[in-house]
Amino acid sequence: MPRSRLIVLGGAIAAAVVAVVVIVIVAGSGSGSSSTTTTTTTTDSRPEAVSTFAGVPQSGDTLGKASAPVTLTVFEDPQCPFCRQWNIDTLPTVVRDYVRSGRLKVAYRGVVVIGNNSLAGLAAIYAAGEQNKLWQMAEALYERQGDENSGWITTAVVRDAAREIGLDPARIVTAMKSNTVLAKIRASINEAQRLGINGTPTFAIQKQLGTLQQLQVSGLEPGDFTPALDRALQ
Amino acid sequence: MRLRVPIAAACVVGIGIASYLTYVHYAHTAPICTTGGCEKVQKSKYAELDGVPVALLGLIAYVTLLGIAFVRGVNAATAGVFVAAVGVVFSGYLLWAQLGPIDAICQWCLGNDVTIAVVAALYVVRLLTEEGG
Repeated sequence: MPRSRLIVLGGAIAAAVVAVVVIVIVAGSGSGSSSTTTTTTTTDSRPEAVSTFAGVPQSGDTLGKASAPVTLTVFEDPQCPFCRQWNIDTLPTVVRDYVRSGRLKVAYRGVVVIGNNSLAGLAAIYAAGEQNKLWQMAEALYERQGDENSGWITTAVVRDAAREIGLDPARIVTAMKSNTVLAKIRASINEAQRLGINGTPTFAIQKQLGTLQQLQVSGLEPGDFTPALDRALQ
Repeated sequence: MRLRVPIAAACVVGIGIASYLTYVHYAHTAPICTTGGCEKVQKSKYAELDGVPVALLGLIAYVTLLGIAFVRGVNAATAGVFVAAVGVVFSGYLLWAQLGPIDAICQWCLGNDVTIAVVAALYVVRLLTEEGG
């Protein structure tokens, strides 16, 4: 075997190692800067985010008029990036085009898919639900979403989110430990297990007296999501 | 060129795995899983590189490696070693992510790890035995 072949082999492998290190570092810093951009954008668009829910009735985990004939149930994990995508990008369209008109109500079901830190998020979300601001809290946490299992759902983050949506941070933190909130989380997780749901977000549709049917969607952006919703509402 | 068939066969296996994971990614469905962690891995931030699914990058790499398998010469063999080595190193990074930050194992990823290691080993042998200068 010519010695030059071994040199070529070593060079190719070394170049590959360098290429991967550069790719991972560049992509990592790219995603870091994009999340900074996202934070800035969402901060700038806060009035728009608030107006998503303005004037829409909420009761506990349900968003929309109680008389709405169809319920869209969404199984979510506050640490799940795809859940964040749906809530930030598509929920405003769903609320504007389906919920405000009274055709649809949306029910939140929190589950733990990513890791234990999700439980703290669910506690904050259901605690806000006791004051009928569950959906605002879910959105406020998604806007602050950090790396999975990095422990980003801290008391400080929850307090900050509560303050932003106009709730008393101390009251939320206290309610997070209450038995009623824990019972709601347990009930939601049990329901997801009973339905065999182990991924998020998972969507299900229920028409008045009908059973819960899983809603298959081709994507999480409004253009992908609403056609599936239209078919389900027919 | 006697390694053409085994390289191509391993690449076809890799294309199968990467195609399935790419489909699952874009369809937002759960992959068939016996290790229990596939969906967690699939929905983690490590499943994308700057917005591009890593499964799609893997698919592109396997198709490239399949194409190179049918090109003669040392330069082609070197290119094959480079692409396959990038695959092995990147798969190692993803394996670290599964064992560490994600804390879940995806059987499809492990299958890919074995496949890309086989392809890389075959390309190394090919480079060292390829006729020509």
